[in-house]
Amino acid sequence: MGRLQLSDLPRLARRHPLVLVGGGLLALLIILAVAAPLYAGDPVNMDPFKRLQPSSPEMWFGTDNLGRDVFARTIFGARISLMVGLLSAACAALAGLLIGVIAGFSRGFDNIIMRVMDGLMSLPTILLAIALISLTGPGIGILIVAIAIPETPAVARLVRSVVLSVRERPYVEAALCGGARLPKVLWRHILPSTIPPLMVQAATVCASAILTEAGLSFLGVGVPPEIPSWGNMIASSRLYLAIAPLTIFAPGICLAVTVLAVNLLGDGLRDMFDPRSKRRR
Amino acid sequence: MTGYILRRMFSTIAVMAMVGIFVFLILRLAPGDPAAMIAGKSATAEMIAGIREKLGLNDPVPVQFIRWVWDMLGGDFGTSIFTGRPVLKLISQRLEPTLSLSILTMMLSVTVGVSFGILAAWRTGGLVDRLLAAFSALGYSVPVFVIGYFLIYLFAIRMHWLPVQGYVPINGGLWPWFVHLILPTVALSVGYIAFIARVTRASILEVLSEDYMRTAAAKGASSYAMLFHHALKNAGVPILTVIGISFAYMIGGVVLTETVFNLPGIGRLVVDAINNRDYPIIQSVLILTSGLYVLINLTVDLAYTLIDPRIRY
Amino acid sequence: MTITRRSLIKAGMAAGTALSMPSILRAQTSSDDARTVRMVMADLTVYDPLLSTADITSMHGITIYDTLFALDSKLMPQPQMVANWKVSEDKKTYTFELRDGLGFHDGTPVTAADCVASLRRWGQAKAGGKLMMARAKDISKKDDKTFTIALKEPLAILVDTLAEGGLPIMREKDADRPATEQVTSNIGSGPFKFNEALAKPGASFTYDRNENYVPRKEAPDGFAGGKVVKVDRAVWQVISDQQTALAALQAGETDFVWSPPADLYPVIDSDPNLELHVLSKQGTTNCLRMNFLQPPFDNVKARQAMLHLIDQEAFLRVMYPDPRFTQTVTSIFGNSPLYSNDENTGWYKKGGDPERAKQLFQEAGYAGEKLLIFQTTDWPEASNASQLLADTLRKIGVNAELAPMSFGEFTTRRQNKGPVENGGWNIFISDYAGSNPMSTPFLLANGEQAWWGWPKNDEYEALRAKWVDVDTLEARQALARKMQGIWWDFVGGVLLGRVVLPTAHRKALTGLLEVVSGGTEFPMWNMQKASA
Repeated sequence: MGRLQLSDLPRLARRHPLVLVGGGLLALLIILAVAAPLYAGDPVNMDPFKRLQPSSPEMWFGTDNLGRDVFARTIFGARISLMVGLLSAACAALAGLLIGVIAGFSRGFDNIIMRVMDGLMSLPTILLAIALISLTGPGIGILIVAIAIPETPAVARLVRSVVLSVRERPYVEAALCGGARLPKVLWRHILPSTIPPLMVQAATVCASAILTEAGLSFLGVGVPPEIPSWGNMIASSRLYLAIAPLTIFAPGICLAVTVLAVNLLGDGLRDMFDPRSKRRR
Repeated sequence: MTGYILRRMFSTIAVMAMVGIFVFLILRLAPGDPAAMIAGKSATAEMIAGIREKLGLNDPVPVQFIRWVWDMLGGDFGTSIFTGRPVLKLISQRLEPTLSLSILTMMLSVTVGVSFGILAAWRTGGLVDRLLAAFSALGYSVPVFVIGYFLIYLFAIRMHWLPVQGYVPINGGLWPWFVHLILPTVALSVGYIAFIARVTRASILEVLSEDYMRTAAAKGASSYAMLFHHALKNAGVPILTVIGISFAYMIGGVVLTETVFNLPGIGRLVVDAINNRDYPIIQSVLILTSGLYVLINLTVDLAYTLIDPRIRY
Repeated sequence: MTITRRSLIKAGMAAGTALSMPSILRAQTSSDDARTVRMVMADLTVYDPLLSTADITSMHGITIYDTLFALDSKLMPQPQMVANWKVSEDKKTYTFELRDGLGFHDGTPVTAADCVASLRRWGQAKAGGKLMMARAKDISKKDDKTFTIALKEPLAILVDTLAEGGLPIMREKDADRPATEQVTSNIGSGPFKFNEALAKPGASFTYDRNENYVPRKEAPDGFAGGKVVKVDRAVWQVISDQQTALAALQAGETDFVWSPPADLYPVIDSDPNLELHVLSKQGTTNCLRMNFLQPPFDNVKARQAMLHLIDQEAFLRVMYPDPRFTQTVTSIFGNSPLYSNDENTGWYKKGGDPERAKQLFQEAGYAGEKLLIFQTTDWPEASNASQLLADTLRKIGVNAELAPMSFGEFTTRRQNKGPVENGGWNIFISDYAGSNPMSTPFLLANGEQAWWGWPKNDEYEALRAKWVDVDTLEARQALARKMQGIWWDFVGGVLLGRVVLPTAHRKALTGLLEVVSGGTEFPMWNMQKASA
C-alpha cells in the first residue's frame, strides 16, 4: 500500500460509498447543529403551563416535561452529542497517540506505561466515568475527560503496535542508521503510518463516546439537565413514553442515526485504508 | 509456560495496585460526605459532625488507605458505611443476578453471533450477509436502554407474555428465574451479537483468503469442509478473544440493563454506592471487577494454546 | 381462502403461546399467597431512626419499633405502650406505667429500663429530645413497669413531644449506644419484625408479622390505637426506575407503590385495578433557601424580591404536575390544622410579581453579579424547580447560574458559608415536613446555629423561645401569628407550594390507614389483601 495522497481522497470516496454516506450524513448533522441558532428556536425557555404538549405547527415535536420546545432541544442536542463525541475521540486519539509512540519507542517506559493502560482498561468504562465525574459534579468538560480516559488505552495499544511494527521496517532502520534524528523519523515515517488506523479507531471511539454520554445521562450523571443533549433528553423523558412519545423518539432516532453515520464512516475508512479488509469489513 | 504465567501474575499485581491507589484517590478527592448522606436532607451540621467522627472519616487519607489495604490483604473488605453490613456479603448477594444475566447473554450472543457470522461468511454478499450488515449497524447504534424499554413495552405491557421487571433467584425455581431474565438478556445481547457476528465473519474471511485455503479449494475440498474444518478452527483465536473481552466488560457494563429491568446486581450496587459515597463498597467492587477482568484475560491467553498449538509462550 | 393444515397448525401454535404463557407465569407469581404484601418503597440505606432524617428510615422505625405515645388522626397524643400516666401538682414530675404484654422480638420483655435508655438516646439526637433533656432533672425507672421524668421547670408540651414521631423504644443494650453510632440489631417491640436473613440492601427488605404482639383494644386512629397486623409478611422492593415500578404494579407483580411519579397518575386513574390514595395527609412544603451570609441575600430587599418573584403555581406544575394534590401556601406553618394562619401574607400574588421583584433587586443594589443555584440532579423535583428558578431569574435580568451536582455533593457543598468564588452558594431548593418551630430546621433563625442558609433574626428567635412554655392552644396560635408576621418581613426562606403526595396501590389491597405524619411515612398494620 502506497502513501496516501490528499488528492486521492475524492476518488477513494467514490470507490467507497460507505465513506461518502457516513461522512456526508455526519457533515450534514454537523452543519444542522452549528446553524441551530439560526432556525431552531429557543431550547431553554420554559412554560410550566404548557407541559407535554403534542406536536403543533409552532412546536413540531411538542413540548417536554418542563414545557420546552422538543424540536429546538433536539436540534441543539446535536451540538452537545457531536461535541462530546468528537472531542472525546480527539482527546483519546491524541492521548493515545502520544502514549503509544512513547511506549513504542522507549523500552524503559513501555512496561510501566502498558501496565497503567492495562489497569485503566480493567476498570469498567461506565463505572470509571461515573467515579471521575463525581470528582467535580456534572459538566461537559469533565464528561469529555471521563469518557476519553477509559477509551485511551485501546488507542495507545493500537499506536504502540503500529510503531513497533514500523520501526522494524527496513526504510526506518535505514533512516535511523543513516543518521536521521529521531523526531524527524517519527514525523516522516512513523506518524503517517499510524494515521489511518488511528482515524478508524477514532471513529469507533466517537461512536462509543456518544453512546456512553447517553448512558451516563440516562443514569443521571452525564450532561447537566439544563443543557439539551440527546442523552439527558431521553433520560428526563423516559416516564413519558406513553404520553408524549416524541420526547423520547426524536432524540432517540437522532442518536441512533448519528452513531450509525459515525460507524459507517469508520467502516468505510477501514476499507479505504486497508483494501484487504473490504471483503471482511 | 510456567515462567510466562508467573510473569503475568506479577504484572497483574502491579496493575491491581495501581487500580487500588487510583480508585482510592478518586473517591477521597470527590466532594461528598457519607456522614451527611446518612443524616439526610434536614440534618443539622452538628448531627453530621458527630456521625463523621464515629465513622473514622476525620483520619488522614494515607491512614485510611493503609487501613483499607491492610484489612483487604487479610480478606476483610470492610463494612458498608450505611448499612453496617460486610461488603463481601453485600457483593455476594448481588453477584447472582449479574452473573446470571452475563452468562445467559454470553450464551445467546455466542450461539447466535457465531452462527450468524459463519452464515454471512459462507455466502458473502448474500441475503444473510446483508441482513447482518444492517443488523450490526443498528445493534451498534441503538442504546441498550432504548431497546430495553421497547421490549418491555411490547412483550410485557402490551402482550403480557413476560414479566416487566425483577429478579427471582435461581433457587426460587429455574423457570421463574429464566422467565425474568429473557427480556434483559435479549436487550443486552443485541449489541454483543452484532459484535461477535462481525468478528466471526471477518476472521473466517481472513482465514479463507489464506494461501493454504486456496490450496485446499484447488484440491477439491467442499465449501462445507473448508468452512468448518479449516476456517472455523483457525478463526477460533480472535473469536475467543472477543468473547473473553466481552464477558469481562459485561460484568461492569450491565448497569444500564440492570437499571431498566430492576435487577439487583453489581452495577446498581456501585452506582448507588457512588451516589451515597459509601466508600468501602465502591472500592471493593472496582477492585474485584478489575481483578476479574485481568483473570479472564489471562484465561483467554492460556486458552489460545489449546486452540492454536502454534502459539507458545 | 382455503385453510391448509399448515396454516391451522400455525394459528394453533400462536394462540397456544398467547394463552398459555400468562397462565404459566401466573402460577408462579401467585405462589406467594394473599398473606404477603409487596410494596415498592425506597432503598433503606440507614436503619437507625435516630441517625437519619430520611423518610424511609422513619418508616422502618415505625414498622419495627413501638412508641410510648402516638398521634391520632387529629394530631392529639394518645398512649400506646403506656397504660396510664400522671403528672404531679407542680407539673414537674411525670410518671408513666407500661401496659401488659409488651415484648421485644428477641423474646425479652420491655421494661422501664429500656424506656429510660431509649429516652436518653432520643434526647441526644432529635430536637424534641434535646428540649426534654434541657429541662429534665432526672429520668429514671421506679420498677419494671414504671418510670418517671422529673423536670427542673414545667414543660407543657412534654407528652406531645413524646408522641411525635421519632422516639423508638429499643432494648437497653441498643439504646446505650451513642446516638451518632448506628444500632446494629433491628430489634424492637413493634407489630412487625425485621427479617435479617431476607434483607437485601438495594433490592428488598422483608418484615414479618410479630405474632406475639399484643395490640391495644382501641380501634386504629392515625398512628394511635390498636396495631393489628392482618398479613403475614410485607416485602419492600426497591425499584429505582419509576416507569418499571408502575409497570410492575399494573402487572400485579407488586401491590403498592409509595411514590408514583405525578406524570403517570393518569395511567393509574385509567387502570380499573389501581387507585391513588393519600395516606400521609400532612404533606410537605417545598422551599427555597437563600444564603443570608453572602450578597445579594445578606440584604433583606433581595430576599423580599425572591418572595415577590415566585409564582408558586408554576413551580408546583414542574415539580408535581397534578394540581389535585398540590396547593399554594402562604403560612410558614403549612396547612397545620392548629397553627396555619394568614398573618402578613399580603405579598402573595397569583402568577408572582416580576416587576416588583426587579425593582427590589435594584433597591438591594444588585448589579448583575453571578447568583449561584445548587441543582441536585438526582432529586428530580428539586432539579426541575432549580431550572425553572434560573429561567425565571434570567427573565428579570438576574445573572443566575445553575451548579448541577449529586445529592451527595450537595450535602457537602451547602455547608460552605463563603462567597460563590470560593465554592459557596446563593440558593438551593429543598422541602420540609411538619410545622413545629421547635423541631423543624427550616423554621429556625438563630444565625450560624440555624439550618443551611443561616438566617438570623433575634426578635423572631425571642418569640420562638416562648413556644415551649405557652400552655394553652389559643396562646400558642397567637404566638404562631406573631412569628409568621416577622418571618415574612425578614424572609427567612421562601415557599414554593405544598404537596400531599398520593401512593398508588392495587384495589385488592385494603385497610391502609390514613395518617397525619411528619413526612410521607405511614403505618403498615391493619392493611390486608383480598385474595385474587
